[in-house]
Amino acid sequence: MNSLDRLIEEKLQRELQAKTRRHFIKDCVAGMGGLALGSLFMSCNSFLGNNDKARITLTERDINPLASMAPPFPAKVKSVIYLHMAGAPSQLEMFDYKPTLHKLNNQACPQSLLEGRKFAFIRGVPKLLGPQAEFKQHGESGNWVSNFLPHFSKVVDEVAFLKAVNTDQFNHGPAQLFMHTGSPRLGRPSIGSWVTYGLGSENQNLPGFVVLTSGGKTPDAGKSVWGSGFLPSVYQGVQCRSKGDPVLYIDDPKGITRNLKKSTIDAINNINKKEFNEYSDPEILARINQYEMAYRMQTAVPEVMNINNEPEHMKEMYGVQPGKESFANNCLLARKLVEDGVRFVQLFDWGWDSHGDSHSNAVDLGLRNKCTEIDRPISALLLDLKQRGLLEETLVIWGSEFGRTPMQENREGKEMAFKGRDHHGDAFTMWMAGGGIKKGASWGLTDEIGFSALEGQVSVHDVHATMMHLLGFDHEQFTFDFQGRPFRLTDVEGHVIHEILA
Amino acid sequence: MEVIQQLIGRLHPLVVHLPIGFIIAALLLQWYDRKNKEWSKILGILFQWAFIFATIACISGYLLYKGEGYSFDTVKFHLWLGIVTALFSLLMYLRLSASSKIDFIKRVPVVLFSFSLLFLISFTGHLGGNITHGSDYLIEPLPNSIKSILGVGPEVYEMPTLDEDNWEDAVLYTDLVQPILNNRCVSCHNAKKEKGELQLEEENGILRGGEDGVVIEPNDPEKSALYARLILPLEHEDHMPPKDKTQPSIEEIEIIKTWIAHKNSFDKTIGELGLKKELFYAFFPKEKDDTYPNVAVAEIPVDTIAALKNKGFHVERLSEESNFIKISCINKPTFSDKDFDSLSSVRNQVVYLDLGETQITDAIFEKISTLPNLTILKLDNTGVTGKNIETLEKLEYLKNLNLMGTNFEEVHLPKLKKFEKLQIVYLFNTPVKKPDHVDKPKEGELFVDYGGYNLPKIATDSIVF
Repeated sequence: MNSLDRLIEEKLQRELQAKTRRHFIKDCVAGMGGLALGSLFMSCNSFLGNNDKARITLTERDINPLASMAPPFPAKVKSVIYLHMAGAPSQLEMFDYKPTLHKLNNQACPQSLLEGRKFAFIRGVPKLLGPQAEFKQHGESGNWVSNFLPHFSKVVDEVAFLKAVNTDQFNHGPAQLFMHTGSPRLGRPSIGSWVTYGLGSENQNLPGFVVLTSGGKTPDAGKSVWGSGFLPSVYQGVQCRSKGDPVLYIDDPKGITRNLKKSTIDAINNINKKEFNEYSDPEILARINQYEMAYRMQTAVPEVMNINNEPEHMKEMYGVQPGKESFANNCLLARKLVEDGVRFVQLFDWGWDSHGDSHSNAVDLGLRNKCTEIDRPISALLLDLKQRGLLEETLVIWGSEFGRTPMQENREGKEMAFKGRDHHGDAFTMWMAGGGIKKGASWGLTDEIGFSALEGQVSVHDVHATMMHLLGFDHEQFTFDFQGRPFRLTDVEGHVIHEILA
Repeated sequence: MEVIQQLIGRLHPLVVHLPIGFIIAALLLQWYDRKNKEWSKILGILFQWAFIFATIACISGYLLYKGEGYSFDTVKFHLWLGIVTALFSLLMYLRLSASSKIDFIKRVPVVLFSFSLLFLISFTGHLGGNITHGSDYLIEPLPNSIKSILGVGPEVYEMPTLDEDNWEDAVLYTDLVQPILNNRCVSCHNAKKEKGELQLEEENGILRGGEDGVVIEPNDPEKSALYARLILPLEHEDHMPPKDKTQPSIEEIEIIKTWIAHKNSFDKTIGELGLKKELFYAFFPKEKDDTYPNVAVAEIPVDTIAALKNKGFHVERLSEESNFIKISCINKPTFSDKDFDSLSSVRNQVVYLDLGETQITDAIFEKISTLPNLTILKLDNTGVTGKNIETLEKLEYLKNLNLMGTNFEEVHLPKLKKFEKLQIVYLFNTPVKKPDHVDKPKEGELFVDYGGYNLPKIATDSIVF
């Protein structure tokens, strides 16, 4: 480097140094002034606020984010019970009867079905696997239910089937997210969050969105399936447990009496009220309200979560096991929660991933046991809601993240020890029951082996649109502004499934 | 040259006001001067100017008609009357000017010219206004009551409809596409107005297309302007219908798309085209939701609702559009008969009342019977026995009554059967004995749900595979 270059270099450095200082003062005067002016105006506002309270108009939602709001359109239902069987139960052993598949049992799957397709585990040419259950038509509707669900087949006239639900995800995590948030990627609010955000909750002492898991595993997608995404976090699902403390740390700590707790909260609230009188920030009121609600919840939640006081015949009907974590207990709890005005109750069961890699994951053995576990509770739930006059204002949804293949799984191309089926999202079964649902309806038709939809294919978005419709929303209008654009549960898709509406 | 012609044409709306002004001014002056006759000379000059500018207006008007694609039918009366107005201004000028050599004009009374001009200027102006603003421009803002007196009823957009029974026999073009075009497009693209030289009133016009060529590429909606322009962003210059006009619904756009995608057939029925019913849901007549009474009630003031909420009631509007409310005591288990009086201010609006798990007694029935529009009533898990429940008979909309978990006595059950609209009564967990056999209710008949459902134990319950 010659001296001239060095001189130029030095000159540039100097210039840059000078610029960093001067730039700020010279170029940013207008900007700084603007900022200052902005805050001047703002402080003006809060200054006036001190003298003139009327200037601040508080909505009910400012103070209580769970205050109930009217839906845009008259709603058919006011609460939802969503029964999710994580792992994906086989529709071919439960609801979608395919006699042809029976005939084709053990035959090689035609190439046309495999070309250009990717399965989670199936490799090469798998064999078709006939239904492992016996099917019969039930009720006045004549809908098909297998002998895996003997109790449910008695209440089949209460529900409407969707036989050709379609998802584009074939792994549990993303598919569960898609089913519960409308997007297979993280970050969107769950259905329950949307609903509690839109409608609030009736009971002041309970959360608006309660999640119950059957113990053991939680869904693969994690807690995001009941998360609030970009909605305020008050709308996320509250996980309650049927064993131990219903909500973690809900008990008063040792040595703290209820009265002491009350006076502590009163003292904090008094300070907060003074703070509000000074600054008029509605956030403070919301905080006061949250403290009070938490205090009330401490007694209300354990009360509603206690199933021991239910009469014996009720416990028998649901098949509950007090003191344990079970799907049956959760079904009974779901009824109690809805009865007490909880807006959205989300149940997760697990162990439905019938790959055929073990006894419990076999479609003829383990699946049957899983069916027995849910058969009585779900049937009891429907009947119990009905006799209490709650079914007409509740929407009960049963489903999973996807369904299973008509082909027998051949993991790594080898025959497996047990009969199993791989993940399959082209056409699987869900059902809905309750207010606004056409009883005994069945919509959607799959081909002879149950591989893809022939008629009435509905998407996950369509299911969401239908739920929103029943709750009094137009899914296209119900949005939340985030990152500069309005977001909705159904993204840019979704059609209400009129075929299953009364 | 064409540009200049067009520009002059577009100055027409400006230029026309000059002759109008001169003629009106001259007529007023004529009236003012009717006795003294001092201003005759000025009057002559005014009518001369009126004639000159009326002629210019006629020329510019003609250029506008040529340049902007108006059809002759639309403008003809305005055009002829404009020319006649110019002519009458000239005649008037000649009549008034002293130097005129034409004798016979002098014999015509001035008043005749004056009234002719007054009529001409008003009527020609009005016709011109109709062309630019539309013939309903003046009537449009009037209240509907006055409109109906004038016999021009409010313009209500009616979606074309299909029949649930024979929707497959409807011709896609005739029964849906054309009505949609008529409603959304034809007001500008008709034989009269022909914006963009495009007519969408009937088959020939649609197929002919407009100044940018054909608007339909058979089987390819994306390339067909008739569809593609509908789905452009609203702000886009080429978006149709223009931003400030009412926009077609998503379902309507979908129909246009489907029609083009199926070779834009002008005579095939929906069935022949093999289209699915899903496409047409929006076009079936909506079944009215008759859950709640079809009566208008006043909106409840915000502070009344706030006051009820402060008392612990859960109050919720039925929907954002409805003035009806639902009231629940879910957060007010201490509610007792005397608390009912606080609801009297909203008694017309309550359609849903949930007093479940409260301290009410049989005295509540009489109070509840003052809620004329009550449709759903929940008294579950309370101490009521059903005494005096007959007072509820006068609730003409009561459909749904929940007495589950109460001490309701069987002797009162026959009273409920007299309730006219009552459809369902829940009696689970009451002293009422469930009959051995419950018939399925007939349409419009009261169904008593005795509950007590059970799921008897079966062998498979305990088998583990």
